Formats: sequence, structure tokens, C-alpha cells
Amino acid sequence: MDATGPTGGPPRLRSGAVLEVRPLPGRPGLRASGEISVTTRPSWEKALEELSRQHTDVSYLELSGLRFVDVAGVAALAVTAMNLPGGRVVVEQPPPQLPRVLELFWPSLRRIEVAPR
Amino acid sequence: MSTVTHEQAFAHPALFYRSEREYADRTVTFVREGLAAGEPVAVAVPAPNLELIRDGLGADARDVSFLDMAEAGRNPGRIIPGVLRAFADAHAHERVRIIGEPVWAGRSAAEYPACAQHEALINAAFAGRSATILCPYDEAGLDADVLADAFVTHPTVIAGGRERASGAYDWPAVVARYNEPLDRAPDADVLTFGAQELPEVRRFTVGRAASLGLAGQRLQDTELAVAELTTNSVVHGGGQGTLAIWSDAGHVVCEVRDTGRLTDPLAGRRPPEHGQIGGRGLLLVHYVADLVRVHTSDDGTTIRFYLGL
Repeated sequence: MDATGPTGGPPRLRSGAVLEVRPLPGRPGLRASGEISVTTRPSWEKALEELSRQHTDVSYLELSGLRFVDVAGVAALAVTAMNLPGGRVVVEQPPPQLPRVLELFWPSLRRIEVAPR
Repeated sequence: MSTVTHEQAFAHPALFYRSEREYADRTVTFVREGLAAGEPVAVAVPAPNLELIRDGLGADARDVSFLDMAEAGRNPGRIIPGVLRAFADAHAHERVRIIGEPVWAGRSAAEYPACAQHEALINAAFAGRSATILCPYDEAGLDADVLADAFVTHPTVIAGGRERASGAYDWPAVVARYNEPLDRAPDADVLTFGAQELPEVRRFTVGRAASLGLAGQRLQDTELAVAELTTNSVVHGGGQGTLAIWSDAGHVVCEVRDTGRLTDPLAGRRPPEHGQIGGRGLLLVHYVADLVRVHTSDDGTTIRFYLGL
């Protein structure tokens, strides 16, 4: 909570949430890192649209670098998965909020398979 | 009793009882009437009373859904979406019958206002729906004020075995009365935030909650709940807000204030549509917290949640 710079100068600029999404090398799907919250949700939803366009049987989401996802971020994933014509989405190493929110709001969603951290 | 409840779309009687015997007799009769009419029946009451009803029903108990209200309804704010609507919506084409006992003698002074508001809001949440929700009140163990409130939150009251219309019925009055200003503890840690500080306020809260003693899933739930409340402040509550966190009587209390006003009394108490992306934030807070208190006025909104240590 130190708001001053290392030299005691003016307060550092505090940055908001950052989300980085890239295609997954060698497998269908995406790797996301950073945070999914209100400020980064538009790029998350765009990435999910892309995932759903390229989806055939199994898509992978590699989330080991994701520090946080909020309820609407998990909702966007759940809705994307429900609207797929078939197959499933394997979510690898998500932050703990993801399985928690799925359990609370979509307890029987079989389209999403969570491979824990 | 049955003629009154079957004619109306929604029936919401309070049942005043004076002894375990009277409790068991009247609740078992109520359940059996429902089973005889082919209605799905659920019973959500504190565990000791659950046993009274289960024993009284004998073999008929297997046709009834039982929930310990001290767990499922620990936070009164999640009873409508998580217990009552969950059961009614699972039987959307039938009349349902539920016993819901959200108020018991051990409820704390912090919990009771949320209990009373919950009882009032059942009337809004179920208006026009085909359901009967019976709410037992322990006449011997509860304060006179609590019993008086039951006359305001229930259109009919059953006492001494007779059901009468309540002349005091006026549920919005109870929602308004318990919309009480909330004072935060003088030793609270406080941080103001805007959109740019959302990650920081989350980290700040997790750090403080951990040092106050929360760990594991409860700590993760704190992070999620604070993220939802602070995001709501940024998106709907004037773009910024103030977070405060402290501990009180075995709980960690987190509170978010902003300049918005909550105009929908059922906000956070409606089950969301399956395919809906937004609108689950306050519902999440109700689901994970042991208690949620809200104060809203023209000057702003304060939402506070409690997690037991």
C-alpha cells in the first residue's frame, strides 16, 4: 500500500488490470494471463468468440498465468461453452475463482472440464 | 387453512407456535395436505426442527425435500434465490409448498434486520406465483418486536390453530424500516478506489482479511465478493467508492460505499437466466457470505458482508 515511489518522490502511477491472450501453440485454444475483470472483459469476450469460431471437438484454455477472474468473466466462458454446437472446453490450471463460480451458478455444465492447478 | 391457500396464487402465512408438539402437529399437517394434493413439498428449517417434522411424517418424509435453514439460510439474503426460488423453479409447472423458517431465537442483532427484510421481500419475489410458503415463528422464544414484524410481513397469521388476515400487513414498511444506516468500526482499514484501483483494492482486502484470520476458500470468497461490490461501484455507483474492512465478534466484515442508489429491492435475490452474463455480482455476495447488510438512500449505498472466522 506504499503509494510513494522508491525514492520518496511522487506517487507511482497505479495501473489497472491487464489481460494478455494468445493462441495455444500446437493445440486448439488459448492461453490467457493477467486478470479478467470489468476493464479487461471486452478482450476476454473477443477471445472467447474467436475460440468458439475455431472450435471443433475439444478446445483448451491454458490459464496458469491468470491471477484472477470475476463472476462475469466466468459467466462469459460458461455461456460460450453452452452455445457450442458440441464437444467441450478443457480449462487448465485456472485461478480458484473459476471452479468456485462454476459450482455456484452452473453446477451441471458438462461442456467445461476443469484440470486444476 | 387449505381453502384459503388453494384459492390464492401466492399464500404466505406465518405460523405462531408455542411448543414442539404444536410445531410438529401443524407443520406435519401442512406437509401432508400438500402431498395429498400432489404438490412438491420442501422444508427448510433449523436442524432440530427438521427432525421434529421428519419424525412426525414417518414414511411420508421420503417424498419431501429437507434443508437445514441454519446452513442454507445462514445469510437471509440468499434464501429467496438459493432455497425458495430454486425449489419453485425446479417445479415451474406445479403449485409448490414450502416451510421456511428464517427467524429463530439465536439470530443476532446484526442478522435480524436482514431476516425481516427477507420475509418482506418474499411477497415481492413470489407475487402471482403458484406457491404456499409457511413461516413458523417461535412465540415463546422470540421478542415481541419480531412477532409484531411477522404481522407486517405476512398477509395472514396462524395462531392458536386459526388463520386470520393480518390487519398490519404492509411488507414495504419493513423493507424501509430495516434500511438502517450502517456505521463502520473506528478501527477499520479504509481504501478509496476508482476503476484503475480495482486490482489494488482486491489485493488490499485479501491481505487484510488474511491478517484478520481468514484462509482457504473463505479468503478466496472474500476476494470474489469484494471484486463484485467494487466493480458495481465503478460501473453503477458513481465510478468510485470506499472499501472498509475490520473484524467484529468472530467475523471479518467488508464494506463498500458509493454514491449510487439501489432502487430494486430484489437486486441480488433473483436467480439469473442461464445464458445471462452480467447481473450475478450481488447474488454471488449473498451466496458466499454469512450475512449481508445493505443501506441505500439518496446520499449513497453501503453494502456490508460478514464472513465467520
